[in-house]
Amino acid sequence: MEQKKVDKPKKVRTKRSLSTKLTPYAYTMPAIILFLVFTVYPMINMIRLSFYEWNGLTEEKFVGLQNYNYLFNLQVDFKIALQNTLVYTVSVVFFLLLFALIFAVWLQKDSKINAMVQRLMFFPHLCSMLAISTVFSWLMDEEGLFNAVLSFFDLPGLRWLNDSTTAMMSIVIIAVWKGMGYHALILLSSLKSIPTEIYEAAALDNTPPVRKFFRITIPLLSPQLFFMLINITLSSFKVFESIRVLTKGGPGKSTIVLVYYIYEYAQSNLKYGVAAAAGVVLLIFLAILTVIYFRLINRRVHYQ
Amino acid sequence: MGQIELKNIGKTFGQTTVLENLDLTIKDGEFAVLVGASGCGKTTLLRVIAGIGPATSGELYIDGEEVSDLEPGKRGIAMVFQNYAIYPNMTVKGNIEFGLKNNKVPKAERERLIAEVAESVGLTEYLKRKPNQLSGGQRQRVALARAMVKKPKVFLMDEPLSNLDAKLRVQMRSELIELHKKLKTTFVYVTHDQTEAMSMADTIILMNKGVIQQQASPEVIYNDPNNIFTAQFIGTPPMNILKMSNGCYLGYRPEKVVLTAEENEVEAVYKKKVQIITREMLGSETLYKVRYEGEKEEANTFMVKSVEDTFGEDEHVWLNVALENLYFFDKGEMRIRENDNAEDYAACVECLKGE
Amino acid sequence: MLGLTKKQRRNIKRTSLNILEWIFKLAVCVMFLFPFYWMVITSFKPYLETLQFPPTLWPETFTLSGYFTVFEELEVLRYIKNTLIVTGSVIVLQFLVNIPAAYAFAKWEYKGKGMMWAIVLATFMIPGQLTFMTIYYMFADWGILNSLLPQILPTIASAFSIFMLRQNFKQISDEVVEAARLDNASEWKILWRVMVPMAKSTVITTVLFSFIGHWNAYFWPLVMTRNEELKPITLAIDRLKSLEQGMNYTDIMAGNVILVLPVVILFLLASKKIIQAMAYRGMK
Repeated sequence: MEQKKVDKPKKVRTKRSLSTKLTPYAYTMPAIILFLVFTVYPMINMIRLSFYEWNGLTEEKFVGLQNYNYLFNLQVDFKIALQNTLVYTVSVVFFLLLFALIFAVWLQKDSKINAMVQRLMFFPHLCSMLAISTVFSWLMDEEGLFNAVLSFFDLPGLRWLNDSTTAMMSIVIIAVWKGMGYHALILLSSLKSIPTEIYEAAALDNTPPVRKFFRITIPLLSPQLFFMLINITLSSFKVFESIRVLTKGGPGKSTIVLVYYIYEYAQSNLKYGVAAAAGVVLLIFLAILTVIYFRLINRRVHYQ
Repeated sequence: MGQIELKNIGKTFGQTTVLENLDLTIKDGEFAVLVGASGCGKTTLLRVIAGIGPATSGELYIDGEEVSDLEPGKRGIAMVFQNYAIYPNMTVKGNIEFGLKNNKVPKAERERLIAEVAESVGLTEYLKRKPNQLSGGQRQRVALARAMVKKPKVFLMDEPLSNLDAKLRVQMRSELIELHKKLKTTFVYVTHDQTEAMSMADTIILMNKGVIQQQASPEVIYNDPNNIFTAQFIGTPPMNILKMSNGCYLGYRPEKVVLTAEENEVEAVYKKKVQIITREMLGSETLYKVRYEGEKEEANTFMVKSVEDTFGEDEHVWLNVALENLYFFDKGEMRIRENDNAEDYAACVECLKGE
Repeated sequence: MLGLTKKQRRNIKRTSLNILEWIFKLAVCVMFLFPFYWMVITSFKPYLETLQFPPTLWPETFTLSGYFTVFEELEVLRYIKNTLIVTGSVIVLQFLVNIPAAYAFAKWEYKGKGMMWAIVLATFMIPGQLTFMTIYYMFADWGILNSLLPQILPTIASAFSIFMLRQNFKQISDEVVEAARLDNASEWKILWRVMVPMAKSTVITTVLFSFIGHWNAYFWPLVMTRNEELKPITLAIDRLKSLEQGMNYTDIMAGNVILVLPVVILFLLASKKIIQAMAYRGMK
């Protein structure tokens, strides 16, 4: 074999000045610095603070796990808050998904009235929770509209927000009312992304409606439904505004939730260490959910 | 078993009318191909037959039975969609089985049918897979299997090969022809590709703007077109058409032309001196674009397809077409045949001499 | 139903079902409209009428006293000014911070990018509801508690905006960027003159979210402001309820009308756009 001497190809050097190399950092750094200063550092600081006793004025005092002990063993209100948050979250997730699904399927067809109903249902999502809570506080007043309607049907009135057995339910009703249209809308747009041919194929396969719903619609929506489940759970864990506006955790401790607990301990009780420890517990919940959430995003990319 | 009869079918979408007073009979066991440009109503017609886009008026009979009011799933038909419309959440087996389950076929019978149909389309190893783990060709087979397993009276197919690459398409085409031979049921196949139509069909139904232009076998539709539209739709390049002095049209196919260097080398009724403008060598044939001598630059050009490759660009040659290869069309673009309208035909031949 | 064909009977069944569906749809509309209707009419009722049981569905006498309280006594415009300053500054600063970052994440490869992206994603799970306590004391140390900065600074960098914008920038083909480079455009120019116009709808979406989010903001200003002068509209309206005379629904509802009105107007102007944007956000 003839060996041919090959010149080593000349290496091409792109002229990249220092400034071009630094450009990406110049673009990213402002955001990153802001994140570090206003999110990451405060969080680390909070974790640190959870091992200290501090009232905002005096010297910080290291107390080890004492704050966590306080949360889980010495006092019941944190456990109540945790429990309330779970009850709230599970109910909101369940009813939001259920109603969103029902309305999405019901209002699926393109028509003027459906578009109008969708819009009306969606609007509360944009409104301030404060305003909505206030209106509902009147509707749910003992002499409010809900009871007026109940008495019209000769039913006994409820004490709604003023009764520890119904207060959480009332808060859930408001959250579901406010979020239903938004979630129905999301489901509606994923319903529309299902190719019509799939339904036509199902029609040709002589599929009864109920079976079509459970064997085709629900499975095809399931990635979106799961996604929504995580999203609603994340936001429900952070519920605060409606509680603060309507019940301030009461009656009794029946509507104390995690964020409200943290807020109370930091703002009113000035027990920052305890608040921080509660924050760490919430953070762990949120972290787990967020990890699932991002796993899901990656999986969705590969779906279909 | 599976004769399809459409009587006076109309279909409107809101204000637009797609089909009107359409009559059509597709014989039992026939491989019928509905062909036409996009938007001609062929898919609409298929969906009318399937019942997923039912007709707004008229009657539809399958196997002699009025089915206009029947649900799609109860018409004894199966359909293969352009994008296959496989249920992405079910396995291959689940997809094939779904229709059987809906029709309450007992389990043992289902298993037997699935095994049989999977074997015949070569999916046996893939039964447990999900559709997203399959190639385009395999998905196509799933769609076919799902249709076949129902043992329908009629198979409807909506451009089933258009999502496959060229090589696979040719292979699937012959597989479908074989399948039709084996099953001996009625196939109604929609395509916009005339080659597909010509190669597969027993009967071609050519549509334009919601109207059936001609329904005939591939040979007839090629050799004996009813009108200018059909003549130009079938065949590549399309038939050359020119207007004659009496207002009628003359047509001849590019591949029926004989080009000669001298005027009197061959006998032909139609002789023209032409100039070759471009020349495309296609391998076994050569395609010439020619312009009639004495015409202006912007005048119409005509295509000639010839096995001869002896002429070059800008050469001046003779174009010859024999009488049996000439087609005449009246002012309404309808065909003038010697058998039905000898008088007009003769007039056209006469007119030709003066051209 | 003697004398009716199968088809006629089916038609009757269908029409009655349709009517039923219409009634249900109207009921849903009422269910979602009523609270807003109630808000508006209550704001025009005199105080005593708001206390009646059963309540009146239309004000027997109209009064503007609620709006008088809100504008004159509460001086709501002062708070609206705060909200608008905060919202406006945040939107402008978000432009300058989030868009370049999203562009860098979408189109460039550089050392440390993975790390930085991890930071962005991590901030998703750290809400202000957790970090407010330490941030407050940080601002106290900086000595800026007596300004609007505590309401502005922490919300500028938005993981959500960066995420959405990056997604959109990624969809724009590299060839467009390369073509612009061949035309000798600087990166800064490519970003603002080529990329941003092509991602216009996402940019508008993020602006919209920012506006609605800050207009309705409740928790953050609540924990960041001690000074009445710095409070936004939400806290002012909230305070109406704790004013000395007890629950005066006329005043409270007037306040709520003011709070909801800009969102209503925005929605009436661009409901289609907003709905699209929201659905898109929910899908991603």
